[in-house]
Amino acid sequence: MKEFIKKCPVLLVLAASGLLFSLIGIVGRFSIYREYEFHVTERPYLTLMMEGISKGTMPWEAAEAIGMGADEFPGGLFYEWGNRGQMIGMPSEGEAAEALPQGGEGEGSVSALENGEIDLGGQGAAGDFAETANEGVEGKTGEAVKGGAEGNPVEAGEEAAAGDLAAAAKEGAAGNPVEEGEESAAGNSVEAGEPKDSNGQGTTETKTAEDGRTYSFQAVTEDYFNDAAFIGDSRTVGLFEYGGIEERADFYAKISLTIYDVFTTPVAKDEETGKKITVEEALMQKSYGKIYLMLGINELGTGTTDTFMEEYEKVVARIRELQPDAIIYVQGIMKVTGAKDAEDEIFNNTNIEDKNRAIAGLADNRDIFYIDVNEVVCDAEGSLNAEYTVDEVHLKAKYYEIWKQFLLEHGIVK
Amino acid sequence: MVIFSGLEFIFRFFPAFLAVYYITPKKYREWALLLGSFIFYAVGELYYVPLLFVAVWLNYFFAKKIYSCKDTRRGRKCRKDRVIAALVMDIGLLAAFKLLGAFLGSAVLPLGLSFFLFKMISFQIDVYRGEMVQKPGFRQTAVYFVMFPQLVSGPIMRFHEGGFGEEEREYSWEKVEEGLQYFIAGLGTKVLLADRLAILWKDIHMIGYESISTPLAWLGAAGYSMELYFDFWGYSLMASGLCLMLGYPFIENFRHPYASKSISEFWRRWHITLGSFFRDYVYIPLGGSREGMGVTMRNLLAVWLLTGLWHGGSLNFILWGLVLFALIAIERLALGKLFGKFPLIGRFFVLAMIPVTWVIFAVTDLRELGIYLERMFPFNEGGIAVNPRDFIKYLGMYWYYLLAGVVWCVPAVSGFFKKHRRHPAVVLLSAAIFWLSVYCVVSMENNPFAYLKF
Repeated sequence: MKEFIKKCPVLLVLAASGLLFSLIGIVGRFSIYREYEFHVTERPYLTLMMEGISKGTMPWEAAEAIGMGADEFPGGLFYEWGNRGQMIGMPSEGEAAEALPQGGEGEGSVSALENGEIDLGGQGAAGDFAETANEGVEGKTGEAVKGGAEGNPVEAGEEAAAGDLAAAAKEGAAGNPVEEGEESAAGNSVEAGEPKDSNGQGTTETKTAEDGRTYSFQAVTEDYFNDAAFIGDSRTVGLFEYGGIEERADFYAKISLTIYDVFTTPVAKDEETGKKITVEEALMQKSYGKIYLMLGINELGTGTTDTFMEEYEKVVARIRELQPDAIIYVQGIMKVTGAKDAEDEIFNNTNIEDKNRAIAGLADNRDIFYIDVNEVVCDAEGSLNAEYTVDEVHLKAKYYEIWKQFLLEHGIVK
Repeated sequence: MVIFSGLEFIFRFFPAFLAVYYITPKKYREWALLLGSFIFYAVGELYYVPLLFVAVWLNYFFAKKIYSCKDTRRGRKCRKDRVIAALVMDIGLLAAFKLLGAFLGSAVLPLGLSFFLFKMISFQIDVYRGEMVQKPGFRQTAVYFVMFPQLVSGPIMRFHEGGFGEEEREYSWEKVEEGLQYFIAGLGTKVLLADRLAILWKDIHMIGYESISTPLAWLGAAGYSMELYFDFWGYSLMASGLCLMLGYPFIENFRHPYASKSISEFWRRWHITLGSFFRDYVYIPLGGSREGMGVTMRNLLAVWLLTGLWHGGSLNFILWGLVLFALIAIERLALGKLFGKFPLIGRFFVLAMIPVTWVIFAVTDLRELGIYLERMFPFNEGGIAVNPRDFIKYLGMYWYYLLAGVVWCVPAVSGFFKKHRRHPAVVLLSAAIFWLSVYCVVSMENNPFAYLKF
């Protein structure tokens, strides 16, 4: 044996550690890893440990968990897991429209199920089990964060034009509302579904707010963005890099950002302290005239439209709270190409349209407006124009111009 | 399962096979390997198993026929006729499938076709040339053709290199250990470096070539050059490590190509088994470089056109072969002497030109290729919506992989580990790299969206 150790040390180290990791996986299967989708015929037990680490569950937690809940056989869990996975198919418009706050807080296992499960973002796999529920809900609604410093934080250390032009944009805030008693555009979830419509340049759609005041989208110039902030995922990162407005607007955007972690992930750099700060902290430090929000594609595999919207509303409400005077643009999620749509069970246009309908429902047309860039980047079938993209999801750099032009044509001036 | 860096292979197929293999008495181990290899192939591509089997059997049949020709004048003719028949079959099969692949998409290509057919071709010619020590038996021939470590992507080992039919094969735990360390080195090279750098290349594609800055175009070319190297070198290390673990020799397929002092040297150190195949079976039979410059150039052109075609049917591969031919011809005619005197210039030439050739290799659409090259050499103001600082972002995202890659390209580094491979620190490092690689594979596999973060 001694000789063998001398001959094959690596083999022995691997065999021993492999055995240990497998044991951790097996033990954890009944405790800390029990909600993981796993079948022993598909992959070895030790991968559970790896999966755990990648989700923030450290293997030694298995030791603490031994004896707890080991009586439950994990096989029974698959069913529940399967149920809450991705939502496919779209609810009727009625359902989408009523995705309003349900105050889901503290409903025990149900709310944990709705909030916790964010596989994509790599957050801890929160369980739908009472024991783990508290972990899942953590840190969603933003706790007040101390900001203080008032830089103009932009990702990538970009020097943004400060908000001194903000005043210009606010001019006429008093007067302008066009009063055009049109009722047709009212209502919540209407335009989301129409892929292409006639709003070219200069056309104004009239939006009627609940109080009867109406605002029209109108063409604005680029300095409209001087007091704007953009919040979003990789698509917004692309707009930052290639849209040509990075000098004017602030961008709080990050690849794979979701509605669930938009306030918890540090995305901006505080220019004074150099520390990474979250969108929430950034919004506390500076006030904006417009906030553009586009989030939702990373979440398509997570929860349902209802759970998504619950979170979305919270985010919008929090933005409203932090930026009481800003116009909030909730943007429809940009679609994917027809090819992607056909092959992907999760990242497809049916799912996107479903969420967009719900997002559109948030618009009150007074200070929250829904705009949908799909009107200009989609083909006749209502899918992202294949010419505009290589990876079926992101615009190629040169086509971000289209998005910018769309935004310029859809300004609200109060 | 046919991917060596996949979990099924690492934790299921190979450990199980290794146990069965070493439990099997020595006498029957070749049968075990043969059976294991067919199972391996069947899992990868069940419906081509009959094709593989028939190809193996027919090649064995022809080789036996060639071998049995007498060494008379008539016998030599019969030898020649038979080897031609065998080559027509093998090359015909290769050409037929490549053509099918060109029209129907590469999905119709049988797994590992180019590699096992090249082994078969070299085998027939070696038999014809009388290089066999003894009459090859079916078992050995078949094992040579299909042994799973080399079945899918080489190295294209020669029969005589495999130590078949000589004295009894030696098996030892030391070899298993050494092979395992090579396997781990290859796994880490592929998973920790190549797979990471691959994302940079994808990112650049996503932006659209017309919108990348010139520095980013070069960064991308450098990243892709490393990715391709680490991917294939890593794979070759894994394959040869597996061979060693099974008692077969380690076949070297890469010898630090980026440390070369000329393009010709680069290609003697890159995919060595393919290069030597073309050298021994095409270039030299055509007369090599002994019959004047004109013939030499013709022979080089033939080799590089074939090399281009072997890599793929689309036009860019032919262009790629032609560019390499041109570079090597220029070296032969003019630059070679200069590089001999000033090796530094040669090194610089390699590091500047090879990435350009890899771009031609990588971008299959000629129009897109033109755009990319135009961004690398922006003589006329091109580019749409270029963000001039884009490369800073990607350097920030990938600098550690690029740096690690540069270090890993230096021959002395891997030489150091090879020399001290039994040192406890290196042993532990090996284990750490293994588990880190597995971790990366797991987090990819069980998060199929890892590449799909928007």
